[in-house]
Amino acid sequence: MRPLDLTEKDPSKKITIYFEGKAYEAYEGEKIAVALLANGVYWLTTSTEGRKRGAFYFGPLPMVINGVKNTDGRKTPAKEGMRIERQNYGEFQEDVRIDEEKPLLRYVVDVAVIGAGPAGLGAVLEMQEHLTVALIEERSWLGGDFWLKGIRQEGFDGEPQEVISGMRAKFNQNVRLLLKTSALGVFDEGEYFLIPAVRGNQLIEILAKRVVLATGAVDNILLFENNDMPGVFRRAFALEVMNLWGVAPGRKVAVVGSRPEEMTVELERWGIDYVVVPNPKRAEGKESVERLIDMNGNTYEVDAVIVADGRRPDINPITQAGGRLRFRRGYYMPVLDAYHRIREGIYAAGSAVSIKPHYANYIEGRLAGARILKEFSFDAEPCIYEEKLREYEPEAVPLHRIESGSMNLEDVQICGCDVSLKKVHDAVESGISDLQIIKRLTHLAMGFCQGRFCLFNGALLVSQKTGVDMARIDLPVARPPIKNVRMKAVARRD
Amino acid sequence: MAERSEILIIGGGITGVALAHELARRGEDVVLLEKRFIGSGSTFRCGTGIRQQFNDEANVRLMKRSVELWKRYSEEYGFSFQQTGYLFLLYDEEEVEEFRRNIAIQNRFGVPTRLITPEEAKEIVPLLDISEVIAASWNPTDGKADPFHSTAAFALHAKEMGARLYERTEVKDIIVENGEIKGVKTSRGLFKTGIVVNATNAWAKLINAMAGIRTKIPIEPYKHQAVITQPIKPGSINPMVISFRYGHAYLTQTAHGGVVGGVGYEEGPTYDLSPSYEFLKEVSYYFTKIIPALGDLLILRTWAGYYAKTPDSNAAIGRINEVDEFYIAAGFSGHGFMMAPAVAEMMADLITKGRTSLPAWWFDPYRFERGELRTTAIQMG
Ligand SMILES: Cc1cc2nc3c(=O)[nH]c(=O)nc-3n(C[C@H](O)[C@H](O)[C@H](O)COP(=O)(O)OP(=O)(O)OC[C@H]3O[C@@H](n4cnc5c(N)ncnc54)[C@H](O)[C@@H]3O)c2cc1C
Repeated sequence: MRPLDLTEKDPSKKITIYFEGKAYEAYEGEKIAVALLANGVYWLTTSTEGRKRGAFYFGPLPMVINGVKNTDGRKTPAKEGMRIERQNYGEFQEDVRIDEEKPLLRYVVDVAVIGAGPAGLGAVLEMQEHLTVALIEERSWLGGDFWLKGIRQEGFDGEPQEVISGMRAKFNQNVRLLLKTSALGVFDEGEYFLIPAVRGNQLIEILAKRVVLATGAVDNILLFENNDMPGVFRRAFALEVMNLWGVAPGRKVAVVGSRPEEMTVELERWGIDYVVVPNPKRAEGKESVERLIDMNGNTYEVDAVIVADGRRPDINPITQAGGRLRFRRGYYMPVLDAYHRIREGIYAAGSAVSIKPHYANYIEGRLAGARILKEFSFDAEPCIYEEKLREYEPEAVPLHRIESGSMNLEDVQICGCDVSLKKVHDAVESGISDLQIIKRLTHLAMGFCQGRFCLFNGALLVSQKTGVDMARIDLPVARPPIKNVRMKAVARRD
Repeated sequence: MAERSEILIIGGGITGVALAHELARRGEDVVLLEKRFIGSGSTFRCGTGIRQQFNDEANVRLMKRSVELWKRYSEEYGFSFQQTGYLFLLYDEEEVEEFRRNIAIQNRFGVPTRLITPEEAKEIVPLLDISEVIAASWNPTDGKADPFHSTAAFALHAKEMGARLYERTEVKDIIVENGEIKGVKTSRGLFKTGIVVNATNAWAKLINAMAGIRTKIPIEPYKHQAVITQPIKPGSINPMVISFRYGHAYLTQTAHGGVVGGVGYEEGPTYDLSPSYEFLKEVSYYFTKIIPALGDLLILRTWAGYYAKTPDSNAAIGRINEVDEFYIAAGFSGHGFMMAPAVAEMMADLITKGRTSLPAWWFDPYRFERGELRTTAIQMG
């Protein structure tokens, strides 16, 4: 077994890959970032300003793979003999030829459901008997965040992966499943909504009469010095490497953030040594994390840090599609009408709406599905789901005090695109109190994640420094494409 | 008590802010009102380009002065302005002929534009596909500036010199008594003044109407969109590259590293600003024709802003005599960012001295009513 393997891998899939000229054991189909992690390699790419970066916190992961620069190390599966190198964010392939235009794929359905977590699955199962549905999911699995959990979750009968497989088995011929497919946005197109999406470089257009945004939540980003260092993990990535790939984030890990329990139960299950550090100040190490220092000056010798600070709704798909937001329970959430819509024709469900148990998200998906059935004049009983949903009070997510006084702000990364907390902090200190302007002066929320991971902390800082209520901040709206897309994938004229 | 100022500017885009800055520099008592935040109109949505390659004397002279001012203020205030040139790619004899004529005008006023070969163009931007290009019009003294830091710098220094800038203050009405301006009503109360400047560009007709102006000044808002890619190595695409052949495309690399630009795709008149999927496809199609390597880059976002258009693509700048004293500087189409420093100087001359050595006559707001349209100014996108 490789240094960080938790499980025995299928020996028939064993291959060799080369990273920076050195041979490593990998398994066919493993994502490159995971294969290298299993070998204890954390530092995979370098940011524009020269900061070492790994695969598992934020920022893009451009790598040179078989001589091709700017290839995504998070998405590319390992193959025998693959040669992989680090690169700098700014490097790209200069000799690209545009291939012949691939034929466009186009599907016309009654409903497009974006996101195949419990909410999206609930919506599909509710509607599939009467309506045609396209289910669009960016990742390679169904079940979203729920699928990543290794232990039973309240409300469901069975292990998460069993539950999801059971749901998938129920899909009928009305469901068109599009995995590894990223929706780029929702556009109005006459009586329809047009959802362009890409799978690799294949452009797919989905025309639907109704849309369900079951686009989920994003992990909260914790601000401490060198929080972007290789070896720092967001909770979802930590869950993914352990529970999907059978690889440990490290031999001894520190768990930080306000929701350590969610992570510690999983670490215990795998027998991974951990320490919970409530107040991290600084991660240190040469190429990746070697130690974590807390605000009281205690030093913990660890080789990985997992940020388990809960999640907040991903507001980008909501605002791009024309939804409005309000601030409650410590996060921005969509304003819904009495029918659970952000506007006519577009429904929202699951942790895209509020943070609550997976089962409640599933019920909310069912509810959205039932509402749509009624719109199409089929029998449905949304009230039952509505009542059930009322049993779950959404969670409040705590707002951290940003300790700008006690940290070296230059080393704290608010955003994976080289926006340090110092840049944002200095802009606010210079008297600019408008997040819209701070965004443009510092490039906060203008990079790869379009603010998904950084905008909230920007708003929080502005609010804490200026005393402006979070609810009153003029929050930038997400622009299409809501997921990064290569120009050649959408280059066409009709 | 209502606040009072000698001069009141409506609109906090680059035009209004640069004018507030220039007036404050001259010691004038000035207030600026912006309904949202500084730059929120078209300014923060622009393509950053600054060129002197126009097709008439007035625009060439105005832009020559503007470039001098861009240079001076970027050095003084420390924002990014780079003279990395404008490179128009030309694909047939007819285009070349037209540019020859433009170059002659530009050269006459000291703008060093020249025709170069496709190979020379490729030396300037090695990523170009020049297989269909037969020549290029090249002026190395054109350039680009960071709209965010430049506008913010003008605002900051305007304030330091005594201008009062109010954001989130929307003008709702203009009070005129016996043909004289008394003040403006806003979402934050009354502001008294004797002189109003309409610097609201895409919204100019609404402000004119508030003052009861009947003179025909046709300025209409058209939706234009832009795209930006992931940041790439600095210096990959230095100049603004233009191709009328490929969708009226313009593109360059920002100081931050992303490739920014747009195409001629236009919708309007409309106040809608939602970015469209058609634009996303079209801009990608044309950009990858001009520079194939762009195909590999990730698109980070698209957005829309206004081209405030007049029938001849030249702005309306000057004094309106129907009420005393009302000025307008609006209708900048796709070139209001680049002109702002010179327009500010010209307007400040008109307001404080009643005359200017810059070619204000070309932008005469009465020309529409008189049916004296100018040659249509070259427009990007
Ligand atoms: C996609 C795109 C690319 C472009 N590229 C370039 C380029 O490369 N180079 C170039 O030179 N130009 C470019 N332009 C054009 C340029 O953006 C505009 O011409 C320029 O920004 C106009 O500045 P302005 O200050 O006159 O108007 P604006 O920036 O629009 O400012 C007008 C302001 O008035 C405010 N306002 C309106 N009504 C009221 C009211 N009632 N009360 C108070 N305030 C009010 C608005 O909120 C707004 O902020 C581009 C434009 C677009 C859309």
